Amino acid sequence: MLGVAALALGAFLLYPTAVPDGLALPSVDVDAVFGADFVDRAKRYERFFYVNWVLAQIALFVTLWIYARRGAAFARESSAGPIGTGMLLGMLGLAIAWLVHVPFALASHWWQRRWDQNDLSYLDWLFEDWAVLAAQFLSICVALLIVMGLARWLGERWWLPGAAVFVGIAALFSFVAPYLYYGTAPLERKPLLEAARTYEQELGVGHIPLRVEEVSADTEQANAFAFGLGPSRRVVFWDTILEPPFTEAEQKVVLAHELAHHSQRHLPKGLAWFALFAIPGAWILMRATRRRGGMGNPTAVPLALFVVAALQLATAPLSSAISRRMEAEADWKALTVTHDPAALEGLMVEFSKTGLGDPDPPFISQLVFGTHPTLADRVAMARAYADGAR
Amino acid sequence: MESPSRPPVRLVLRDGDLQRSRLTVFFRLILAIPLLIWVTLRGIAAGVASIVNWLAVLVQREVPESTHDFCANYVRYSTQVSAYVLLAADPYPWFRYQPDYPVDVEIDRPVQQGRWGGFFRLILALPALLLATALGSGFATTTPGQGSVASNGNEDEAVVWGLSSFGGAAAACALLAWFFIVALGRSPRGLRDLVTFALGYGAQAAAYLFLLTPRYPTSDPRLAEPYSQLPTHPVRAVVTDDLARPRLTVLFRLFLAIPHFVWFLLWTIAVFFVGFVAWIVALVLGRLPLRLHRFFAAYVRYATHLVAFVYLIGRRFPGFTGRVGSYGIDIEIDPPERQRRLTILFRFFLAFPAFVVASALGGVAAVIAFLAWWYALFTARMPEGMRNLGVTCLRYSAQTYTYSLLVTGRYPYAAPVLRDPGPGPEPRPNFAPPEPVLGETF
Repeated sequence: MLGVAALALGAFLLYPTAVPDGLALPSVDVDAVFGADFVDRAKRYERFFYVNWVLAQIALFVTLWIYARRGAAFARESSAGPIGTGMLLGMLGLAIAWLVHVPFALASHWWQRRWDQNDLSYLDWLFEDWAVLAAQFLSICVALLIVMGLARWLGERWWLPGAAVFVGIAALFSFVAPYLYYGTAPLERKPLLEAARTYEQELGVGHIPLRVEEVSADTEQANAFAFGLGPSRRVVFWDTILEPPFTEAEQKVVLAHELAHHSQRHLPKGLAWFALFAIPGAWILMRATRRRGGMGNPTAVPLALFVVAALQLATAPLSSAISRRMEAEADWKALTVTHDPAALEGLMVEFSKTGLGDPDPPFISQLVFGTHPTLADRVAMARAYADGAR
Repeated sequence: MESPSRPPVRLVLRDGDLQRSRLTVFFRLILAIPLLIWVTLRGIAAGVASIVNWLAVLVQREVPESTHDFCANYVRYSTQVSAYVLLAADPYPWFRYQPDYPVDVEIDRPVQQGRWGGFFRLILALPALLLATALGSGFATTTPGQGSVASNGNEDEAVVWGLSSFGGAAAACALLAWFFIVALGRSPRGLRDLVTFALGYGAQAAAYLFLLTPRYPTSDPRLAEPYSQLPTHPVRAVVTDDLARPRLTVLFRLFLAIPHFVWFLLWTIAVFFVGFVAWIVALVLGRLPLRLHRFFAAYVRYATHLVAFVYLIGRRFPGFTGRVGSYGIDIEIDPPERQRRLTILFRFFLAFPAFVVASALGGVAAVIAFLAWWYALFTARMPEGMRNLGVTCLRYSAQTYTYSLLVTGRYPYAAPVLRDPGPGPEPRPNFAPPEPVLGETF
């Protein structure tokens, strides 16, 4: 009970936002703002991904369920000790999940090419993510090394220090990621640099280095992001967002939005939210694998994979909601420093066109995948600000 | 375990004497130029004859005696010329096949063959030709790159061609044997035996390509036992593994090895620094202290386990500690022994020739891995011959590393046989099916 209360208190402390309470978002006619033809096109484009995702999830969970029941037999393919065998079982589970995922990813790629949203050839597509897959194999080994090592040492009490270790790793990764993210160059646009000085002062955040990443050779989609902790904080713009059709005013809104992520401490808060999920998640994992001898036993690993996948799916709506809340807050802070709701509205229209994004997706889709407010909601916030809701 | 039945293409070695003429060895490549031209011309003629063989197999399932003999004589003659060039034999082979040459090939009479196997022979022979090339001359490539050339004070961009090679176990052995023979007048037996084995496999591959036999070439090192023997060595390979290879672990083999790659890198860094300290200590003591010996021995065993797993020579996921007997493809290492301080002092330079051979055998093992990956993906099994040849490559590599890390003072031995025949007669002059050697025997 004490633990639940602590988690509830943590969530209560993290929940507040700079968006005014009771801010009423006006209704937005998406057909009028984005164009009826475009909205219809975007909905048809997105619908395929919803169906594809549902089928992929069904295939994944059926496969992981079978693996949870029978995967322990692969232990005979190991000459390693318990932790090494657990690593093997974890990697094999990941391999099977990847194999099951490939046809659905291929279907997605085919659909993107069909709608001119991706120029990557099938061969390039097949080989572009090998490094990511290799990193996932390494990550699962490190995670199992920690969990199984702690479980063999502490028994069933592993879950609390285990969760703490994972939060620590996440914090470390958040801190060092900007230093490892090579291939960016300093931003040299004078108007944006001058605007950044003003916004930094108004938002009460120290100097944040601004970087540019060249992606225009690979994609037309536009993006920018904030990452890093403390001295490693950065804002990175894709070069696609620094070119037309995006206007300078829209670029300034993007800049203010990303700086607001830092001023509102969204990255440390994200880590705190992760801790709130990780602690009960580790406890559930400990309980679920108890019948297989606990996480110290390699034959529990296939079941653990299933439990982790189920937890990720179950918490997806909650984590998406938290992310949406932070993005909405960043939008609001951007409006308060740029005082340019028209630019935010224009930005959303351009975003939808470059990514063929549905401005008003179905509720269930937004519930699961919606890491940002819908484009329609973001336009509505801009209009609410313009209407004097500040 | 099964033993190979009498193969239809057999290499025969009559060269009990390892003595070589320094003068002809010194000029061997120049002396061989006319032979190489003649072999090339005969090879073109044999290629034409093999088309006749191909049509004959498609029509009557058997090659005519005349073209069979023509191609067989070419295979024999080219093997003899190769043996001369690669220093496995000393007499000049002249311009026709010699039945009494020290290195010879026996080829059975024509037999009936399957039409499908004949029709696709060129494609089917590709893996064998790939392995034969890795065992023989290796793959050499030239790659263009940018460089700068200074002329009259100005630097100009120029295209610089770089040469890189892969595999070529027989060529590497011949290169080292050349220096050895020029200095001492005799060929090292281990290197000679490895060259001979490579020639034998090449002859099998050529005979298969020319449709002289429907039997696929085998790379099993047991075929070398009639003419080669394994001396007692402090570093030995032990095989207790089976040949099953589950497809899932085959498909993702490289990915499954990722945690091992990380661990191996960390261990290698430690070995690099400890190795320098060990060299100083060994120079003072005249031997490696037991703790350091254990540390390096575990490292070499672990590296062998890891490479065996990655190259599909071993079946199971290895442990991370290099413990003795923990893996199906293992390395036994004797306890530390006293070593001559002079050889310890110059160990790095002394080990260099062994590293040349180990590198070439590493290329052979990589080709085995590539071929075995496809084979195992379809059949869920590893070909026994390839597995055993892979083990000999790993054993040589382990012997090289233990020698360079001062774990043993004994130089690596290149002969491609796996089992120690124990006390008995010297190498048999002709082929006889060897006893089963796998499983508990070695």
